[in-house]
Amino acid sequence: MKLFIFNTRKNAIAFVILIVVSFLISSCEKVININLNAKAPQIIIEGIITDQPEPYTVSLTQTVNFDESNNFPPVSGATVIISDNSGYSEILTETTPGIYTTSAIQGTAGKIYTLKVTANGKEYTGVATMPPPVNIDTLTITSVNTPKGSNKTIYVNFTDPTGINNYYRFIKIINGTAQSSIFITDDLLKDGNIINQPLLSRGQDEVKIKSGDMVSVVCQTIDKNVYNYFRSLLQLSTGGMINQSSSPANPLSNFNNGALGYFNACAVTSKTIVIP
Amino acid sequence: MKKIRLFLIAIFCILSISSSAQIKYTISGYVKDIKTGEELIGATVFVKDSKTIGTSTNAYGFFSLTIPEGNYIIIAQYIGYEVKSTQFSLKQNTKYNFILTENVTQLDEVVINAEKKDDNITKNLMGIEKINMQEIKNIPVFFGEKDILKTIQLMPGVKSAGEGNSGFYIRGGNADQNLILLDEATVYNASHLLGFFSVFNADAIKDVTLYKGGQPAEFGGRLSSVLDIRTKDGSDKKFGIEGGIGLISSRLKIEGPIVNDKGSFTINARRSYADLFLKFAKDSAMKQRKLYFYDFNAKLNYRINDNNRVFLSGYFGKDVLGFGTQMGVDWGNITGTFRWNHLFSEKIFSNTSIIFSNYDYNINTILAGTDGEIISRIQDYNFKQDFQYFLSTKHKFKFGFNSIYHKIIPGAITTKSDSSISELNLKHKQALDNAIYLSHEYNPSGIIGFIYGIRLTSFSTLGPGDFYSYNSLGETIDTTSYNNGEFVKTYFTLEPRFAANFILNEKNSVKVSYGRNTQNLHLLSNSTSGNPTDLWIPSSSNVKPEISDQVSMGYFRNFKNNVYEFSTEVYYKHLQNQIDYKDGAELRFNENAESQLLFGTGRAYGIEFFLKKKSGRFTGWIGYTYAKTEKKIGGINNGEYYPAKQDRTHDISIVGIYEFSKKWTISATWVYYTGNAITFPSGKYEVAGQLVNYYTERNGYRMPDYHRLDLGVTWQKKKTEKFESSWNFSLYNAYGRENAYSITFQEDPNDPAKTQAVQTTLFRWVPSISYNFKF
Repeated sequence: MKLFIFNTRKNAIAFVILIVVSFLISSCEKVININLNAKAPQIIIEGIITDQPEPYTVSLTQTVNFDESNNFPPVSGATVIISDNSGYSEILTETTPGIYTTSAIQGTAGKIYTLKVTANGKEYTGVATMPPPVNIDTLTITSVNTPKGSNKTIYVNFTDPTGINNYYRFIKIINGTAQSSIFITDDLLKDGNIINQPLLSRGQDEVKIKSGDMVSVVCQTIDKNVYNYFRSLLQLSTGGMINQSSSPANPLSNFNNGALGYFNACAVTSKTIVIP
Repeated sequence: MKKIRLFLIAIFCILSISSSAQIKYTISGYVKDIKTGEELIGATVFVKDSKTIGTSTNAYGFFSLTIPEGNYIIIAQYIGYEVKSTQFSLKQNTKYNFILTENVTQLDEVVINAEKKDDNITKNLMGIEKINMQEIKNIPVFFGEKDILKTIQLMPGVKSAGEGNSGFYIRGGNADQNLILLDEATVYNASHLLGFFSVFNADAIKDVTLYKGGQPAEFGGRLSSVLDIRTKDGSDKKFGIEGGIGLISSRLKIEGPIVNDKGSFTINARRSYADLFLKFAKDSAMKQRKLYFYDFNAKLNYRINDNNRVFLSGYFGKDVLGFGTQMGVDWGNITGTFRWNHLFSEKIFSNTSIIFSNYDYNINTILAGTDGEIISRIQDYNFKQDFQYFLSTKHKFKFGFNSIYHKIIPGAITTKSDSSISELNLKHKQALDNAIYLSHEYNPSGIIGFIYGIRLTSFSTLGPGDFYSYNSLGETIDTTSYNNGEFVKTYFTLEPRFAANFILNEKNSVKVSYGRNTQNLHLLSNSTSGNPTDLWIPSSSNVKPEISDQVSMGYFRNFKNNVYEFSTEVYYKHLQNQIDYKDGAELRFNENAESQLLFGTGRAYGIEFFLKKKSGRFTGWIGYTYAKTEKKIGGINNGEYYPAKQDRTHDISIVGIYEFSKKWTISATWVYYTGNAITFPSGKYEVAGQLVNYYTERNGYRMPDYHRLDLGVTWQKKKTEKFESSWNFSLYNAYGRENAYSITFQEDPNDPAKTQAVQTTLFRWVPSISYNFKF
């Protein structure tokens, strides 16, 4: 809920600026050329291990310069190892360029996992703990009025385990297509409560939900560092807000050595409904 | 307290011994406007045919001049007023008020009295900008609102915080490092509508003084500057109504005597009504939107007798923004000041103030089924005692103390009982802020003058509550609980201040100054142009007082019988305990917001040039500043010096006002500045299905250069004793320059495989018109 309130607060400010801009001012936008320095490419590691049956994958890509096309070159020939705190360790196989896949390891809630990547002569290590799963009780739908009209919103209803800090990430799947919007929450203001979490998206490209759609929600229980990664990733996607953060920065990765990306060890539950 | 009293008695004793050698008498009194009876601040009072014997009126219009027995012609003068001279045969202490008449013959080149003293050369302090309230009337305005903060931004060393923004940066300091005082009360947020207007209604204001460096010892609490704003008392002669009607807002002022020549009142009100136009919008969503601000200034004063006078003044203002019943945001300041002026003798002026100030914001939202309210507030209870001792023409002392209790509610979230959200009330913060000061102005001869002083401050964070300490990762490593009123952490700082003036001749002077300032309230603001919801935090075990040491040197010159004045100042500032934010810092509703901060040092230096034509049909000025502001903070840019966000290399402003006739005045301003330092991405990548910018360093890029021309025309339609009216037309951004307000990076809509930089421009050609009247 912490994040949700931030969102409405941020929205409030964005909205304030929007109306100031739209009423007082003849604002205008134009595309400009800025010379952004070309930098040496940096590696992006995106790894996941869950409590569901394997295989799990780790993908390695590289940054490109701002004026290039969005083709992010895969990093091939790396050594990728996942190990856990019970002494198990496995080397992943590169199945397609830049995609590394497990063959035997089975994720278990409560274990601590380490992902070690050696690529281009540098070693990057990320550590994540897999929290226990939390079941989704129900999915519900409400219509919410926004400044842009009426929207159907999915609510995830679940019971937060009491006495521990929980962090959640949700993935919304509409008719089989996972949406790219990031939904996260913690239990800061609602430890042990029944939580009704709206999956309101800030992205412009979100598919609108209509009657007859099949909507699934995946609930990942994640650790604090992974939560902070997604929280700081969300901070970056300000959706074209004009009063930007004065110190935008790369999201807080749980990898060392300057690698971008994250290693997520999460327990997973899900629920599906058909929109009436 | 007892110690202070003993100390003061000791000083008096020493000084009275040293001054009892000659027979001297004191002329004291006030300098006032003939029509309204308003006291004039900073008017000069001096002895004719003498270069050195003189003084100026204090913030209450009082002067005291102690000179040997004899016959004198004493002259009082003030900008925009006729010079007044009076003959005295001084055989005893004398009380006399100089009553000045407003200068109406400004059209012709004013014949400059050769004896006329010039503040530019003779004032010992440097780094001061005075705003002439007469001048403000004619400078082009934005949406018809004269604005002192916008005018101040046209001075060298003062930089606008952005397009249309009333925030300002002084000599490399951040916007929160300015102490903004309205009748001595701190104004924590001086912006309406996110900075497009300032909270100061120009009709209510008598005097504006900005101290950019070498602040006198009576001021403290902020690193960069003091903006001292004093409101009008209101006419004690006759009732008057004054007002203005503009496109965006209107204002009205009522003033008049309570008891003739003894007391008066003034009430100013202002409200914007852009939202009323929304009712005509076709879009029903638009109709539901709310957007307005309003403010009131009110002041009462009463002269009990010759030696006692009381003032009561207050400000109340609010911004309200909303969308139907879905969401509402409002914020505003409240200040209140009670003052008692007391004359212990002709030479000792005392002012006692009790001051209250409050800033808060509220957010109401029922979005997503949650009916919640968010409140945040900062409050000050302030007691201030100031003495001025006009010992002789050579010695003047100021001393006093100040005690402020700060109370901060960082954020409280309340919800309906059936909500699934628990309430949140971030720990309230209390602090006690004390200061004592003493300063001495010493003018041994006509060619050299000093002001030096010292200010001792103590700042204590008070319980109750748990206080945390953090490791370098921002994790809590220790928690200590304190009871109500218990001292958690106290910082003492000694702030020496020094200024010297070397008058080379009537036309040239060289000044130097040094000053240390500390700041114990810090604004956490991590957005490019600031938000009303930015949070103030007090110094604590984790956040140390910010300290600045500034040295400056200046050369001042007047030309052509003081028609032109020129000055240049260089400064260097060293800053300690400066604050910046960690990557991905979460400052809002975070009990551990202090763990999101990084600390380091900073430096700022620059040179300012200022050339002004002060009188004649054509008046105006050119200001130029070259400046650099850098920070060095472990954890940012590998601990190297990097430009602060307010760093700007070049800053030029040109102001011209030409009086065609008594009816028509035209004016123009042109500003140019280098873009601010900003963080832009140096690459991009994809993660979690999102296209993400890749950042490599903080503030490594620059916004595009900014420039703008504004034009204004004032048509004085009617001016009689009974009724005055004028029209003001202005055009903001006359040549329609597309200045960048922000630059965002996004997917190219025509080619999703590409990204583009998009610049948003807020204002192009904003015309406005306003009608002003007075009767």
